[in-house]
Amino acid sequence: MQRITSSADVNAQDFQLNEIHNRQLAAELKQRQCTTRFSRPERDLDRLRQQNKLFVRDRIESLLDPDTPFLELSTLAANKAYQGEVPGAAQVVGIGIVAGREVIIHADDASVKGGAWYPLSIKKIVRALDIAIENRLPVVHLCDCAGGFLPLQAEFFADRYHAGRILRNQSILSRMGVPQVAIAMGHCSAGGAYVPALSDYSIMVDGPGAIFLGGPPVVKAATGEIVSAEELGGASMHTSVSGTSDYLASSEMHAIAIARDIVARLHRPAKTLIDQAPPEPPAYDASELYGLIPRDPRVQFEMREIIARLVDGSRFHEYQQRYGDSLVCGFARLHGYQIGILANNGVLVNDSALKGSHFIQLCDRNRTPLLFLQNTTGFMVGREYERRGLTKDGAKLIMAVSGASVPKFTVICNASHGAGTYAMAGRAFDPRFVFTWPQSQISAMGAEQAAGVLTHVKARQLAREGGRLSERELAAIREPILQEYRERSSAYYATSEIWDDGILDPVDTRTALAIALSASLNAPIEAPQYGVFRM
Amino acid sequence: MKHSFEVDGIDYELWLSPCPQGYLLRLGDEVVGPVAFSDCGSGSGLLSIANERRQVRFFIDGDTIHLHIGGRTRILRYRDPLRALACANDEPGHLMALAPMPGVVIATRVSPGQSVSAGTELIIIESMKLQTVIRSPKDAQVALIHFKEGESFERDAVLVTLSEEVR
Amino acid sequence: MVTLPFDTVLIANRGEIAVRIIKTLRRLGLRSAILYHDIDVRTLAVSMADTAVAIRGHTPLAAYLDIEQIIAAARTANAGAIHPGYGFLSENAEFARAVTQAGFAFIGPAPETIELMGDKIRARNFVRRHGFPVAPSAIEEDEPETFLRRARAIGAPLLVKPSAGGGGKGMQIVRELGCLQGAIAQARSEAQRYFGDDRLYAERYVERPRHIEVQVLGDSFGNVVHLFERECSVQRRFQKIIEETPSPALDERLRQQICETAAAIARAVNYRSAGTVEFILGQGEFYFLEMNTRLQVEHPVTEMTTGLDLVAEQIYAAAGRALRFSQADIIPKGHAIEARLYAEAPERGYAPTTGKIHVLEYPGGDGVRIDSGISRGQQITTTFDPMLAKIIVHSTTRMEAASKAERVLRELVLLGCETNADFLARILADETFLSRDIHAGYLEENPHVLSGGSDLSPFLAAAALLTKPVRDSANAVPELHASLGGWRN
Repeated sequence: MQRITSSADVNAQDFQLNEIHNRQLAAELKQRQCTTRFSRPERDLDRLRQQNKLFVRDRIESLLDPDTPFLELSTLAANKAYQGEVPGAAQVVGIGIVAGREVIIHADDASVKGGAWYPLSIKKIVRALDIAIENRLPVVHLCDCAGGFLPLQAEFFADRYHAGRILRNQSILSRMGVPQVAIAMGHCSAGGAYVPALSDYSIMVDGPGAIFLGGPPVVKAATGEIVSAEELGGASMHTSVSGTSDYLASSEMHAIAIARDIVARLHRPAKTLIDQAPPEPPAYDASELYGLIPRDPRVQFEMREIIARLVDGSRFHEYQQRYGDSLVCGFARLHGYQIGILANNGVLVNDSALKGSHFIQLCDRNRTPLLFLQNTTGFMVGREYERRGLTKDGAKLIMAVSGASVPKFTVICNASHGAGTYAMAGRAFDPRFVFTWPQSQISAMGAEQAAGVLTHVKARQLAREGGRLSERELAAIREPILQEYRERSSAYYATSEIWDDGILDPVDTRTALAIALSASLNAPIEAPQYGVFRM
Repeated sequence: MKHSFEVDGIDYELWLSPCPQGYLLRLGDEVVGPVAFSDCGSGSGLLSIANERRQVRFFIDGDTIHLHIGGRTRILRYRDPLRALACANDEPGHLMALAPMPGVVIATRVSPGQSVSAGTELIIIESMKLQTVIRSPKDAQVALIHFKEGESFERDAVLVTLSEEVR
Repeated sequence: MVTLPFDTVLIANRGEIAVRIIKTLRRLGLRSAILYHDIDVRTLAVSMADTAVAIRGHTPLAAYLDIEQIIAAARTANAGAIHPGYGFLSENAEFARAVTQAGFAFIGPAPETIELMGDKIRARNFVRRHGFPVAPSAIEEDEPETFLRRARAIGAPLLVKPSAGGGGKGMQIVRELGCLQGAIAQARSEAQRYFGDDRLYAERYVERPRHIEVQVLGDSFGNVVHLFERECSVQRRFQKIIEETPSPALDERLRQQICETAAAIARAVNYRSAGTVEFILGQGEFYFLEMNTRLQVEHPVTEMTTGLDLVAEQIYAAAGRALRFSQADIIPKGHAIEARLYAEAPERGYAPTTGKIHVLEYPGGDGVRIDSGISRGQQITTTFDPMLAKIIVHSTTRMEAASKAERVLRELVLLGCETNADFLARILADETFLSRDIHAGYLEENPHVLSGGSDLSPFLAAAALLTKPVRDSANAVPELHASLGGWRN
């Protein structure tokens, strides 16, 4: 494999201005993550202390093997929802190592609204369990949630992907033989009561831990019975009388030690083998990504430069270098794992769509996982391209992306618009993980373009009513549209809505992908099978 | 969750991570290593820490590890997290006065059922020439005295069990 | 081979001293008999002795103090003499008398000598009467009602101790006269408990005192020689832990003066057998402290420098033989140091430790002698004194001896029971110790030797690598994740 020779000039003014800009974006990301993770009103932390509970982050750190990585997912979920009052959607989800085993951790954050489930909390949990299903990752649930946030029940209760899906996914995992361990560290009531109950192993912390369908107030309202939480669903009762839980722990740390001991004992199926070599760091420093990503998102940039800072030895075996050059395709290694990369290097046209479809099938046959690096404004439009059958060729690419059975990973590096979003393995196409870089914009159309279209529509409406708009009036219409559009196509909005699995500082991408790749290999790779390609 | 060893009554948390030359040892915020141990049989071995080799004599007795390294001898006890953490409040409502050292009971100051307040003398023990008064850690009721005067005990033996008083 | 009036000696003791006596008996062609309580059945001394006789008691200690049983055991073993060792009944005049009356030779001084010297007050009066230096003191029983006033008159600092005591038990130092009354009460209660005798006496306490003692040897014919001094200033809780000879505190003039004083005191009591006269030395003055009418724990340092076997000399004296040498024949050579290996944890206030000896290996070498009474598999309990063994080294100079002793302590491997070996080695390498500036308060003034060298990382590393669950957790981590370390996004 040939090493990519970077032509970036780190001393160029443009590079340096980019670097300043992107480091700022990265710092802002870190700042927001830090606030989301740790900034809590003192009274909430006090309450935890009074209840003898550890902060969710400390629980997770204790659960994990020391000196091993933790890939936190959707840290900033709900950052644009509920007036920003539910940081992280009151959930912590991530992939880490417990007793040497890759697991996904789902933890309720009782320091936020008592760990109540909001609609996005449920979306985040369902997504965590989907990840568990797709990658056959054992789950450790750290349960500390007294129930759903009732005023918003219409948004999380009844629908297919609402709260019931959590329990359904748990059941599916069990059926698949993917084990789950739950620790009831606080009250688990109503639907939440089933999370430990549906786990293969259930531990309860004596004292704060309780499991019941209806808590004491609900029981009193329903039947008039007056009963304490401890009597109703305490750890001692459930581990010795009802059999709802399996282990009585004398403290949270004891419960965590039991959970670690259970995970250490779980069967470890052999991981799927793919081509692997000893890892090698990239020849170019990842921090140069800051200077390469343009500070103006409309400026095109060379994807091979990005690839050079992600893959082993910056080595890249490029496929069809001379054809379909708006889509760069080729093989590389990431921490030793062989992967196939598809990266946008311009607007998608016929030859790039055909090249991509072909390359995906090659990788699929070769059991080579796929990495999509998105920077796409979509497919080309216009008479010429329609006549060339671009929609037909685009359909081929979408068919190939949908049909590929090797694990897919998507990084939204900059723009993600139109059908390009789909054809480059967008969220709907079940890539195992989707990550986003901070400056990215995700929307059906680019913000400027969309604002232009919407302003035009509005101006025409007014014109029909006999009005005529001045430039200033047009601008006055355009500005708020542009503002709102920008807001809702930002990476922060996307991650708030859990359209991705989290925003990454670009320099973390290689490591995050390595952890994701390794996780994905817990599931077998099915034989390739595709639908009908429109020829 | 780190592993824990007790030395002279103090717990030390540590963690080993594999690395190409053996392991890295994490001690608190410090990482030592690479470390490796080669067993030379009959309780002797070679410990290497960052390529510096030391002769080790050892004897393993259950969770207790007796070590002689560099002219010093230490006894380390592996604290199995399941047991160590479970013991935290084994019998809720019960307190125990433990022997700080092996010795013999020379006087008992209380009797079962007696109410005591924090600091009350429970029992006086002697280890060679050292007389130690074992006092109640808090207000409680004497449940059980485990040794009679003149009886000897080992370190960490439960001397007196107290129960939190029901008022 | 010399002929003696007995061919079997019963050792009324245990542990290292019993082993040490057996070695001399073997060398002299005598048979050894030992008595033992069941708790000691698997000890080295019992297995080495030619005959072993079991004794019983409601506690093990009581058995070793049971005069009737001991005499019966001597009969059973057909012994002709009884060696009391040190501790137990070694300074019990009643025992010495009973042994003699039962027709056995008592390997030690005459019962009257034991009686005289065993009573601190009588001993001091005796010594003072003979014109030897004694520290200003107040004896309670002289006039109990004025004891407090007389003690106060000595002035601070002063020492209050039981009249019947020894080995530092019940001693109280009073630095402010305001504390005198409390100290007296404390000393009295301990005196009553330890010795069943609550009489006290008070004496001048010498600040930074050095403990110098002189080994003497006498026969039944009034001949007495001294075998020079030993310095035992390094003490913890009034108990010696490192002893040496010659004393680094004495010049030739003072050495001669103190040694001759000791010999003169021994002569005055018509001393037979091996004994030790103890002095307190401070500011160039020395005072008689007490006389121990037995073999001392630290006698081997004298043996190393003089080349004499003190146990053999005791046996000869008991057999009624005259000393075979005169004072001029005794020319000490080099420097000897003894370090007492205790089952104790210096870091935890010298609390005694227990355990089972799993591994025991003593280093050897020229001028290295180890008097040990323990063996592999032995359970160490707190029933008896916590001394496990004595490390004795002999070299040309003090520096060399200290460094040799340190090496031996470092090379010694004893696994299964915490010991003070590391602590002793630190003292032997301590600058203050090496500078000769030692005194009874040396350890209090130099607390760094208590905690020095506390880098635990090699121990934790070895323990981690030897503990399966720790290794298993490390080995379970996938290679990729191990290489990424504690990465967080």
